[in-house]
Amino acid sequence: MGSNTLDKAKSPALAALLSSAVLLPAYQSAQADAPPESSEIGFRYGKYQEDAVAGGDTLSGEKSGRYDIDVAQFNLIVPVGDSWSVGLTGQWESMSGASPWFSVYGADGQQKVIMSGASIEDHRAEYGVEARYFHEEGNIGFNYVNSKEDDYHSDSIGADASLNSADGLRTYSLALSTSVDKITPTRGVAPTNTLKADKDIHSIWMGVSQIINDRSIFNLGLGYTQRQGYLTDPYKYRDNRPDNREELVLSGGYRHFFDDQNGALQADYRYFIDSWDVESHTLELAWVQNLNNDIQVTPFIRGYNQSQANFYSDVVVDTGGYYSDDHRLSSYSTVSYGLRLKKNFGPWRVSATAERYESAEGGWRYSQVPNKALVDFWGYSLGFTYNF
Amino acid sequence: MVMKYAFKAMGGPCVFRIKARSEHIAYDHAQAAHEEVLRLERRYSRYREDSITSTINASAGKNSVSIDEETYRLLNYADTAFKVSGGLFDLTSGVLRRCWDFRSQTLPNQDEVERTLTRVGWAGVRFSKGEVFLPDIGMEIDFGGVVKEYAVDAALALLKKRKVEGALVDLAGDIGAFSNDPGTPWDIGIKHPRSPEKAVATVQLANSALASSGDYERCIVIGDRRYSHILNPKTGWPTNNAPLAVSILAPNCLVAGSSATIAMLMHSSAARAWLSELGIPWLLVDSDLNTYGTLAGI
Amino acid sequence: MKNSLFVLSIIALTGCQTVEPWERGILAKEEMQWQASTMEARFRQQMFNSKEASSGTSGAAGGGCGCN
Repeated sequence: MGSNTLDKAKSPALAALLSSAVLLPAYQSAQADAPPESSEIGFRYGKYQEDAVAGGDTLSGEKSGRYDIDVAQFNLIVPVGDSWSVGLTGQWESMSGASPWFSVYGADGQQKVIMSGASIEDHRAEYGVEARYFHEEGNIGFNYVNSKEDDYHSDSIGADASLNSADGLRTYSLALSTSVDKITPTRGVAPTNTLKADKDIHSIWMGVSQIINDRSIFNLGLGYTQRQGYLTDPYKYRDNRPDNREELVLSGGYRHFFDDQNGALQADYRYFIDSWDVESHTLELAWVQNLNNDIQVTPFIRGYNQSQANFYSDVVVDTGGYYSDDHRLSSYSTVSYGLRLKKNFGPWRVSATAERYESAEGGWRYSQVPNKALVDFWGYSLGFTYNF
Repeated sequence: MVMKYAFKAMGGPCVFRIKARSEHIAYDHAQAAHEEVLRLERRYSRYREDSITSTINASAGKNSVSIDEETYRLLNYADTAFKVSGGLFDLTSGVLRRCWDFRSQTLPNQDEVERTLTRVGWAGVRFSKGEVFLPDIGMEIDFGGVVKEYAVDAALALLKKRKVEGALVDLAGDIGAFSNDPGTPWDIGIKHPRSPEKAVATVQLANSALASSGDYERCIVIGDRRYSHILNPKTGWPTNNAPLAVSILAPNCLVAGSSATIAMLMHSSAARAWLSELGIPWLLVDSDLNTYGTLAGI
Repeated sequence: MKNSLFVLSIIALTGCQTVEPWERGILAKEEMQWQASTMEARFRQQMFNSKEASSGTSGAAGGGCGCN
């Protein structure tokens, strides 16, 4: 490199020429937002298998398989003219298996999980459409998503906008969304807590992304979500949750590119707190390693830790008030780790990911009321995108 | 993949090299960038009657002409270059070409040169955000000194905006390039002024521009004196002992090109000092074919 | 956790280096974006939301599902 790189300390003559040039339209519009350079279509297939609940942890004494989920996804994005892009998404899931119905103390004084005996089979189909407008200073997007399954129907709309600062180093974002959900639980072997119910979700998010230097960026975000209506899990015995839940999320992210290694470090952190007293921390780290022949390998790890909801109990108790023994509202931590591989073949890109997710009772920072129904799973997925 | 797209414009052969996911995506973007180059050529060419240049020149000494934002900023840039070069960079010096006939290999009539010099003088040009006025009949603005280099930058900006992975724009020898992957820059050879098939230096462009100024073709040689076609606006003659060729690497082609032009209007030794002080990579070949500068010998 | 937030705020306060438009090539790379592969990222987030009590990343909540 040496004396042939462009020195940051400029002579007055050079500085004068550069600052005069930069006012010309060509240099201004280089920073403007624009639709993607080409259309892109993609498909992805994934399979997720939850570990069985051990025989020692079920009341029946028998090991019980849990969920198996197959998911297929579709994505299409098309630039339209110089300022617009339109996107279409589709997602189909097929879930089968059993899930915890409720828990009691067994003869040995330990928590025992009672599974929803018969195997559940559920299919979900989701469609979404998005339009995005690009202008000199940023872009604005609108989206609508519809989701349908046998016992659940959701309609949601959202809008988001982002604005670039004059020097192009900072971007401000705002997103809003509202969804209207209808629940009609299917009665199987076990009775359900309701026949028909509604819930609404309103959410707002604000963020700022800042370029630190030509190799690193960071972002900060703040989100607020309000859920109202039937928030109880209809399939869990005696589950009775408040009909209101407010959530606050604080997030931060960092990206740094390392020239010598030809790779990037990705770090993302999220702090969550809600009106049910659930508090959580999430940290995700990934290292994206570029190799020859258009191959990219990314090992990643995620750590999560949450406190329990204020009405949570590990076994059924009849308090007459709010109650849930849903393991997802207990205090626990999880670690997931995996590997992602990507390869480009001209306009085609193929990617494959494998991930392992493990939960541990209680753990780090929060008081522990362990739950035997915590879930571990394996996830695998394969997808491709094509640019045209 | 890298696609090559060749065409003629700005007085010479032009080439785009575009790195994109597929050939036809690259072609689509190349066409748009080509259109942008032609737009600038149409707008600023003094050979076209409908260009803003012709309109301005036809109104010299009579009335002011209204101009758009882009033209105003170009005039503003030319003004900065005029000040920074101590008056050597002068967009009104084009009219001096009427006195010189480089094909005939004869020197001009000094009387004619002096009369024409009265029509040269950037300091007299009046311009503001919306209009420009040339005070004397016979005065001319020639955007030739800026528009080719600006077109390189404009084409590159358009390709960047369309999010191609990398591009090289070469408009008759003025070059700009960018690459999302700095590990694979573009390799450019700087032509030797007297032997065009030889490279006097090679340069790697990742996100920068290379502009060259030189009297490769047009000059008058009488005895052992060489008269370059790059004329000094203060004298109407080429500068004595001016360099044979100058190449400069800068963040954009416009600045690279005007700096090269300015250096060509100085004595070789003064040019070397000025380029050195400018602080960006440079190459200078003097009339004895000696090469100097940070780009030399690479 | 607290340390990294502290460092980030310091960076914000001290001001950032100017990055000219022609120097932003690396920042345009896919691995330097906030969210890469949309399909995979969306589904992973949905998985975590259905297995944990927390939800939300960048952007507003979006559509719901019965995800159990």
